[in-house]
Amino acid sequence: MQEFDVIVIGSGPGGYVSAIRSAQLGFKVAIVEKYSVMGGTCLNVGCIPSKALLDSSEHYHNAVHSFQEHGIEIAKPKVNLDQMIKRKAGVVANLNAGIAYLMKKNKITTFHGLGSFDSAKTVKVTKEDGSSEVISGKNIIIATGSKPTVLPFIPVDKERIITSTEALKMKEIPKHLIVIGAGVIGAELGSVYARLGSKVSFVEFADSMIPTMDKTMGKELQKSIAKLGADFYLSHKVTSAAVKGKEVTVKAQDASGKDVEIKGDYCLVCIGRRPYTDGLNLAAAGLTADERGRIAVDEHTLQTSVPGIYAIGDVVRGAMLAHKAEEEGTFVAEVIAGQKPHINYNLIPGVVYTWPEVASVGKTEQELKAAGIAYKEGSFPFKALGRAIASGDVDGLAKVLADANTDEILGVHIIGARAADMIAEAVVAMEYRASAEDVARMSHAHPTYTEAMKEACLAATAKRSIHS
Amino acid sequence: MAIEMKVPAVGESITEVTVATWNKKEGDHVKLDEVLCELESDKATFELPAEAEGILHIVAKEGDVLPIGAIICTIEAGGATASVTVADAAPAAVAAPAPAAAPAPAAGPTSVLEVKVPAVGESISEVTVSVWNKKTGDVVALDEVLCELESDKATFELPAESAGVLEVIAQPGSVVPIGGLLAKITVGGSVSAASVAAPAPAAAPAAVVADANYAAGHPSPAAAKILDEKGIAAASVAGSGVGGRITKEDAMAASKPAAAAPAAAASAAAPAVAQGGTRREKMSSLRKTVARRLVAVKNETAMLTTFNEVDMKPVMDLRGKYKDKFKEKHGVGLGFMSFFTKAVCVALKEFPSVNAKIDGDEIVFHDYCDISIAVSAPKGLVVPVIRSAENLSLAGIESEVVRLAGKARENKLSLEEMSGGTFTITNGGVFGSMLSTPIINAPQVAILGMHNIVERPVVVDGQIVVRPIMYLALSYDHRIIDGRESVSFLVRLKQLLEDPARLLLDI
Repeated sequence: MQEFDVIVIGSGPGGYVSAIRSAQLGFKVAIVEKYSVMGGTCLNVGCIPSKALLDSSEHYHNAVHSFQEHGIEIAKPKVNLDQMIKRKAGVVANLNAGIAYLMKKNKITTFHGLGSFDSAKTVKVTKEDGSSEVISGKNIIIATGSKPTVLPFIPVDKERIITSTEALKMKEIPKHLIVIGAGVIGAELGSVYARLGSKVSFVEFADSMIPTMDKTMGKELQKSIAKLGADFYLSHKVTSAAVKGKEVTVKAQDASGKDVEIKGDYCLVCIGRRPYTDGLNLAAAGLTADERGRIAVDEHTLQTSVPGIYAIGDVVRGAMLAHKAEEEGTFVAEVIAGQKPHINYNLIPGVVYTWPEVASVGKTEQELKAAGIAYKEGSFPFKALGRAIASGDVDGLAKVLADANTDEILGVHIIGARAADMIAEAVVAMEYRASAEDVARMSHAHPTYTEAMKEACLAATAKRSIHS
Repeated sequence: MAIEMKVPAVGESITEVTVATWNKKEGDHVKLDEVLCELESDKATFELPAEAEGILHIVAKEGDVLPIGAIICTIEAGGATASVTVADAAPAAVAAPAPAAAPAPAAGPTSVLEVKVPAVGESISEVTVSVWNKKTGDVVALDEVLCELESDKATFELPAESAGVLEVIAQPGSVVPIGGLLAKITVGGSVSAASVAAPAPAAAPAAVVADANYAAGHPSPAAAKILDEKGIAAASVAGSGVGGRITKEDAMAASKPAAAAPAAAASAAAPAVAQGGTRREKMSSLRKTVARRLVAVKNETAMLTTFNEVDMKPVMDLRGKYKDKFKEKHGVGLGFMSFFTKAVCVALKEFPSVNAKIDGDEIVFHDYCDISIAVSAPKGLVVPVIRSAENLSLAGIESEVVRLAGKARENKLSLEEMSGGTFTITNGGVFGSMLSTPIINAPQVAILGMHNIVERPVVVDGQIVVRPIMYLALSYDHRIIDGRESVSFLVRLKQLLEDPARLLLDI
């Protein structure tokens, strides 16, 4: 039996980062991956492929709608969905190979097969050919991630009623795509097809898009996506979905209880994700998942109730974000090495890769209100930004929330081109507990989108933005 | 009317003084210009004369370390005393009728004075609140001691800067940076009474944050990890980053506060005898300064030492021949110091880089020789300066040496007398040192080490003879003095001392 210091189950962004960090710290490391390729949901059926398609669809949309204005005349562009999907697959394959290389470089032993607990110290790897092998580890890190949630009354057939996984490898562009759930994933994939020419209808139980984020963001994003011709059924509760031939019928109730019926050719269900521990055989390790499928961990160590077994990423509490999992991956490796790392969960940014992008960190305005914290707000619209005007990406705004007394930045919410990249500045500032004025007094290159951040900070400081 | 006596500014680089001795007692009647106490800085001792006539109230105890500008004592000149103020205000506070009655009755002008941690010393960035003598709501008189603060160097008391009602903000045990808010004093009679009962304090915390930097003591992500691994609370680390933030460097430099610290503080200045026969004593300001500077020189210069030996026979012969006559004529003994100083001056003229200093990117050459002489004083090493030694006669040098050494032994050297030397001579030989590598007296770039004179067999003209030999050491800053110059300097010194007639003939 092969013995390791650390066994990581799952090779998503949490798992593979954890494996590399463990190897860096001098441990003998094994990583177990169920699929033939490394990278988990994020790389194979999540962040990366969706971004590949988002960018492709954005290029197409620009070719159709913006080129003329920019003075570029071309014949009417046509979508080659096969090529788009092929390119996406290439991007994914490229990064799959990258992770495999990183494992090799860091002398991490990779096991392809379903990892399941054999005991609290051993993991059985069942390979595709049915053979199995048991390996033992002084420490075992569960990084098995999550899967899309399905509702019992919505029969997902993966043909007409699909999840995000299928939406990334469509054979045709839907004529009318009904998206159930206008959260992050629904908004991202819905906007991909809206840009490729689909009619998209969002059905959302909450009263706004991306309802967990600052309300301003949802409102602005809706305005932007509405320009693509999308319909919104907000505060609507889905009651059923049915397929008949090539037609999907979704029934819902609006806030007043009135029934609504929407007909389309595809229905994408994006109502959330659930921690994935299927086949892991937690019981053999003496572990159980909670009622929501999560594995309980100690806040300070991410150790489970069984000593030597840790869990990270989507399978534990907190936001289901790749970069959160990555931080936890590093964290656990260091904890095992006897170090005392920190994660500031309040400062893990949330990002929505629509176009315009949405990114935020810290508290939302609603959270500050609910907590009774006196705050100041400063916003700056992209349409007043030189760089945005030059590029033609004028949708969006940056919004900074600062403590009314100390001026400390408490939350930053940005919707607009490059918001996902811009949020890093806010994270750095907030990790150092900068005040709005601190950021406002730092030079921001001109002309850049980041000037929106500086201007919003000026506005938050004392309503003194220069360009609005 | 009380006059506050504060620590005067005694020198550019001096930020704190220690109260050495009180010549007067609490309650004594003192006259104008009478010496009240002696203060010690790390460089000199000086006396503090009374600025007015009146009754003395001592604020700082012997051994207290005070920053420049801190109150040492007050002198009650007239009839109204501080205690009267207290008596006036206190009953009012007690008698405040309706606690619920809002601060409405506050008719008179009021102001809130913030009590902040004073700058207590150059290298002190935070203090720990050890004990509050007063509590929130107490009526305090001007100069009444509010609390005791501890720094890593000393414990000191904080007097009230104004009479009024106290609101304690920093709790005992909390670490507050210099300038951080400790308390507030609401100034104004009737208002003070009302505010005692008023719910104002409850609302205070929000306002507090606005003043003290909210991010002081906040560790950066890397610093937080390091501190946790060291088991050090962020609150006990002084942040050097913007607004008192704790940087990675702060965290790396932080060390666990000694567990015995509170006990040591409790036993005040008295050296605590610990188990195992060790004894802990606080370093004096002088010792700390010496320590800091010596380490700085080692770290910041390219220091090395070159050696030579001197046959002292010619100088000793000359001295033996004339010492009585010399003493008779000049009233001062003829020692070796004058010969060495004189010879050094001659050699310095020939090798000006040895008599220079570095200022930024430039070398500053001195066309005079202010020779610092290391003297062992009761409290540690001091280095008084013989000014323009190149112009002094041997007798002039000897009398300066006697004068300065005498003052050093009595801790009477002024700052002026200890600053501005261009080259230093140290004589470890008086304690029996055979050979040493002295440390440069920054910002100077070289120092001559003299040693004991021992009869050794040496070869003179092919014969082994016994001669009184002294080893000489020259430590120098290689950044601006090359080996050729330093070695030649020492050789020249040897030449002059082995043939002192050269000093006379200037050859």
